Amino acid sequence: MAHCPLGIAIPRFIRYLREGDVANAYQVIKEANWLPAVCGRICSAPCEAACVLNEEKAPIGIRALERYASDNGRARPIKAKEHKGKKIAVVGSGPAGLTAAAQLAQKGFQVTIFESLDRPGGILRYGIPEFRIPRKVLDQEINEIKALGVDIQTNIFIGQTITLDELKKDGYEAILLAMGAGIPKFMELRGAHLGGVYYGEEFLMRVNLTKSAPFGRNQSNFIVGKKVVVIGSGNTALDCARCARRLGGEVTLIFRRTEEEMYVRAEERDLAKEEGIHFEPLAKPVEILADQNHFVAGLKCVRMDYADAGGNNQWQLEPVPDSEFIIDVDTVVIAIGHRPNSLVSKLSSKLALNKDGTIKVDQTTFMTSVSGIFACGNVMTNAGPVVEAMASGKKAARGIEQFVLQVKK
Amino acid sequence: MFEVVNKLILTEGIKRLDIRAPRVAKNVKAGQFVSVCCEEGDERVPLTVVDCDRAKGIISLIFHEAGATTKKLGALPINESLFSILGPLGNPATIERKGEVVCIATGIASAQILPIARALRQAGNKVIGVIGAKTKKKLMLEAQMRVACEKIFITTEDGSYERRGLATDVLRQLLQTRDIQLVYAIGSAEMMEAVCEMTKKKKIKTLVQLNPMMVDCMGMCGSCRVRIGGKTVLVCTDGPEFNGHQVDFKDYKIRLNAFEGHNQWQGQKLQQLSQRNESVTFRRFLSGILKE
Repeated sequence: MAHCPLGIAIPRFIRYLREGDVANAYQVIKEANWLPAVCGRICSAPCEAACVLNEEKAPIGIRALERYASDNGRARPIKAKEHKGKKIAVVGSGPAGLTAAAQLAQKGFQVTIFESLDRPGGILRYGIPEFRIPRKVLDQEINEIKALGVDIQTNIFIGQTITLDELKKDGYEAILLAMGAGIPKFMELRGAHLGGVYYGEEFLMRVNLTKSAPFGRNQSNFIVGKKVVVIGSGNTALDCARCARRLGGEVTLIFRRTEEEMYVRAEERDLAKEEGIHFEPLAKPVEILADQNHFVAGLKCVRMDYADAGGNNQWQLEPVPDSEFIIDVDTVVIAIGHRPNSLVSKLSSKLALNKDGTIKVDQTTFMTSVSGIFACGNVMTNAGPVVEAMASGKKAARGIEQFVLQVKK
Repeated sequence: MFEVVNKLILTEGIKRLDIRAPRVAKNVKAGQFVSVCCEEGDERVPLTVVDCDRAKGIISLIFHEAGATTKKLGALPINESLFSILGPLGNPATIERKGEVVCIATGIASAQILPIARALRQAGNKVIGVIGAKTKKKLMLEAQMRVACEKIFITTEDGSYERRGLATDVLRQLLQTRDIQLVYAIGSAEMMEAVCEMTKKKKIKTLVQLNPMMVDCMGMCGSCRVRIGGKTVLVCTDGPEFNGHQVDFKDYKIRLNAFEGHNQWQGQKLQQLSQRNESVTFRRFLSGILKE
């Protein structure tokens, strides 16, 4: 329980499940987690890594139990308390924004979420493919949050459509920035500008945007070749690889590390292998080769291996000399991570930034350098799992509550 | 929300839509664009806001029916609503008082230069407009440009209207005879490259607007990356206006080319590649009035 960032009472809900009381188990989860069906599917599950049964054989499948409880349990509807008449704006409807909004709405504040895309959900809708989070499940979770009294306004890009100053003038007493991480990390790789090279976010967004409507008569506007290479070893890379596989390509996943060092759970890795994705560990791309029309013709890689270069027992990944090889590909997807959100500095020049470009916040109240503006989620950590973002959303909600009630006195 | 209030066919394949979007109209400035999504699940298209009526909350968009999405957009009847419009996006154009300014555009880009020419004139510049087209029939927004600019030169490639030749030929003459402080160029990559080469010799400040392919238009995807002065930047958040002398046009052309279904993909067109295996009647039924 101590290892769940959200603080779900794990032993309690498992005990309820053992007794066959799914409704109560769901209630226990819902007390701490506003998106249980989502977490039950994509959580990085730090709880399972901390399970005491790890020493014996295998941990309890807590994530799967959570998914079962949230799919089959129905909780008593949580009634929103009376509004205290305090308006709070949340920018971004990703996991962090939704959690914070729900938490605040339950406390009785009048919360408005501003989302720039046409539907709420943020990364859960546009970043994670449908086979991991079905849109129906996500809609259900968001509707439950809406039922608390949260108003979600879409198609509003804070900073451009409405500025922060205008928001303050409109009577919002606190503003929570939960806009997520920013631009993909550009790879200094020769040939990254060629046709047929996509960044992971672009690839997923194209897949998710064009496939989100049932009976869609839209035509997807990008081409995935027959032989796809995905560079990266995180969850985004795996999602891209699985999407490309489902779009009909032969997919190879290339990363510098060994398979055991990947940033994903073994379970996800096995699922990807089951779908037929070829893993190519310990390889580093050097150059994307072009054909005469400036499209991808091949990928030149070099083998990596652990080497003790200095001779002082510090084993590090080094390229193996004369081990270059060329993979025959026509599409390359680069999924190697994000850079901090550059839009933060455009929002307001007063917001102080850390050295690495992330937003500077107070670690206990989550307030930024400007009074009344808070931040949570990946906008301040740059990269982190969904649970961590949700946990920071909860903490920020507490900070906002204290701040708003103090101002009242 | 986002209902179409008026629709005009300007020339062959080029349409103007007036759309009610009060939130966008309130804050939009010259040079900014919106991201338009016709129907849920469609591709988003970035379109420059050509004109806006702040009192009524109406914006005007001009686009070329080139792909499936813009064709669908062009088929929208009056009073129909769009699924979403997000904006204003991008940085507004830099409008300063410079003196004599040339605004040069070819083809559909004359829609993009119009708000900028108006804003430059309002700032007290002497604006000389140069617009080029293939033939007289394809020339658009002539009357509006005549009002917006103090002097205007029109060129057609086949000589069917006014003077024969390219817009860049007129610019070459202008640069020789007049004391120009700023050149604002929008158009195809080849045209902008030619303009920048010309002005680089004379050290005249040149601004260009780039129109690469975008997906989300908010700086998340990295689809619209271009190289400016040796650095990779995103057009949607850092642009669309750039100093023309720093733009790597070779890279920009490759990026533009990257989304045209090419020989690489066995000569198949983009639409054929992605067509689904639905029955034809079912698809026609769904398509409604839209022509396939």
